[in-house]
Amino acid sequence: MIQTENLTYQYKKGTAIFSFPNITLEKGENLLILGASGIGKTTLLHLLAGLLKPVTGKIYINEVALNSLKNNKLDTFRGENIGLVFQKKHAIQSLNVFDNLKARLLFSNALVTDKKIEIVLAQLGLSELKRNKVSELSEGQLQRLGIALSVIHNPQVILADEPTSSLDDKNCKIVIKLLKNQAKQTNANLIVITHDHRIKACFQNSITL
Amino acid sequence: MNIWNISLQNIKSKPLYTFLSVFIASLSIALLLGTQQLKRSFENQIENNLGKIDVVVGAKGSPLQLVLASVLHLDNPTGNISYKEALKIIKNPLIKSAIPISYGDNYKGYRIVGTTHEYTVLYNAELQKGHRVENAMEVILGNSVAQKLNLKIGDTLLSAHGLLENSIEEHDAVLTVVGILKPTQKVIDRLILTNLQSVWDVHNHERKENHEGHDYHDIQDEKEITSLLIRFKSPRGLLTFPRRINERTNMQAALPKYELHKLYEYTSVGFKTISLIAYLILVISCITLFISLYKMVKERAFDLAILRTYGASNFQLIKMVFYEGFIVVFSSFLLGFLLLKIGLRFALYFMKSNNQQNILTALSFQDVLQIAMLILIMVIISVSFAIYPIIKMDVSKILSNEK
Repeated sequence: MIQTENLTYQYKKGTAIFSFPNITLEKGENLLILGASGIGKTTLLHLLAGLLKPVTGKIYINEVALNSLKNNKLDTFRGENIGLVFQKKHAIQSLNVFDNLKARLLFSNALVTDKKIEIVLAQLGLSELKRNKVSELSEGQLQRLGIALSVIHNPQVILADEPTSSLDDKNCKIVIKLLKNQAKQTNANLIVITHDHRIKACFQNSITL
Repeated sequence: MNIWNISLQNIKSKPLYTFLSVFIASLSIALLLGTQQLKRSFENQIENNLGKIDVVVGAKGSPLQLVLASVLHLDNPTGNISYKEALKIIKNPLIKSAIPISYGDNYKGYRIVGTTHEYTVLYNAELQKGHRVENAMEVILGNSVAQKLNLKIGDTLLSAHGLLENSIEEHDAVLTVVGILKPTQKVIDRLILTNLQSVWDVHNHERKENHEGHDYHDIQDEKEITSLLIRFKSPRGLLTFPRRINERTNMQAALPKYELHKLYEYTSVGFKTISLIAYLILVISCITLFISLYKMVKERAFDLAILRTYGASNFQLIKMVFYEGFIVVFSSFLLGFLLLKIGLRFALYFMKSNNQQNILTALSFQDVLQIAMLILIMVIISVSFAIYPIIKMDVSKILSNEK
């Protein structure tokens, strides 16, 4: 579960201060965050992932306050509890599909067998491609690999940043469906931020910044 | 899957850069190790040949020439000294042993040295076959001489005048092979040894023919040798003996250690130049490695940022880059060793001559360690500069600019 209180963020002194509405999600609940470009969507996502530190306010993930974690502890917490999905680039170029998933697990203590990796790859239709280089994958395949990478370690929270903005209508629906399925399987919170109104119908919970 | 594995895959994904880095680094490593080994071999070879000789006494002239001729058998002697005079000076109580050397002849380019049995003792050379020289006109052969000229015990040879191979000035005295020495890897391997009497006989025989009327006593007085190789009972001899010889007689005493030290100084310029070039290439390879790693860090900024979202700490990313550098340098070290072995084999093949013994001294562990440490420092410097972007990395910013 996720809880935020009075989050604000400022990039540099003298620039605009972003302030964000409080969010409370129970275990397994999903949330869509809509907003125009430049409104601070990605900033909020990075705050939730612990990649940025808020100026004021608190973030709790499974009752752990992110502010209280320092450096390496925060890195490890992120590696174990959070899965990130990006817009276009998803994986490490020099590794193949399977090794990317292994590398995803390298820095967390999650116990995931090779068999589990195979299952996730099969669910996302990537079994045939597991020995392929990342550069050989199409955009849709890459997006699915991105999903696999964000869920393989059974995270508490899946954070997706514009996961559908470069996809056509058909793939857009598939990706959202896959994300929701994977989140459901691990009983994780799924938070999607986007300016893509096509997916609004897919979520019960949504807020607009 | 571990960090090593990711580093290895990163290296594999940029073969050209890796090849360049490895090639340049291995070249400098091979050069560094090579010059070191050649220098060591050169010094070792000469030091071996010095045996335990403290002082060489010979005719006045260049002391270096005297040492080169009498100890290393490389140059022409400075002249001859009277055997009678030589016998006088070796009565000095500080002298432990004095070995006379006399030459002037060769057989197919190999020097024929008139000396005593003690000369073989000086180099710990033992007989492989046959027996010592007991009578005049008998010779024993150094191992390389026997092998190269394919001579056996009982074979006879005609000596030629001078120290260079020629067949015009052949003497008519016949020398017989009575023994062959075991290989020693020292200068004695390429000498033909006989006794003093043989050398005198070969020359006096001709002198008698040319100067009828000399009586035997005159000839006895005219006996000459080339030099004396002297060992002292204690280092005290070195203090007084050479000066007395140089001041009071028409002979000179040269200290081989001192003369050869001077020789190193002349020749080390070449080694120093090659070493300098090797260090220069090392610096270049250091820069190449740095560029390769820095490029990786810059171009793969997004990959590195993703690894951070996977839970990797900055330190783990730095470790990854360090491993990459280490893998490149370790392969360079292996390739460098290989290049060295092949290169030296070629070099020796082309340098082969009678004057070279071509025995390489193996590099000491310390030499290798020293160069390995130098290279380790080089990796650390390259990596330290290359990881700078990682330390300054703003993961959030890199991820937001993903397009």
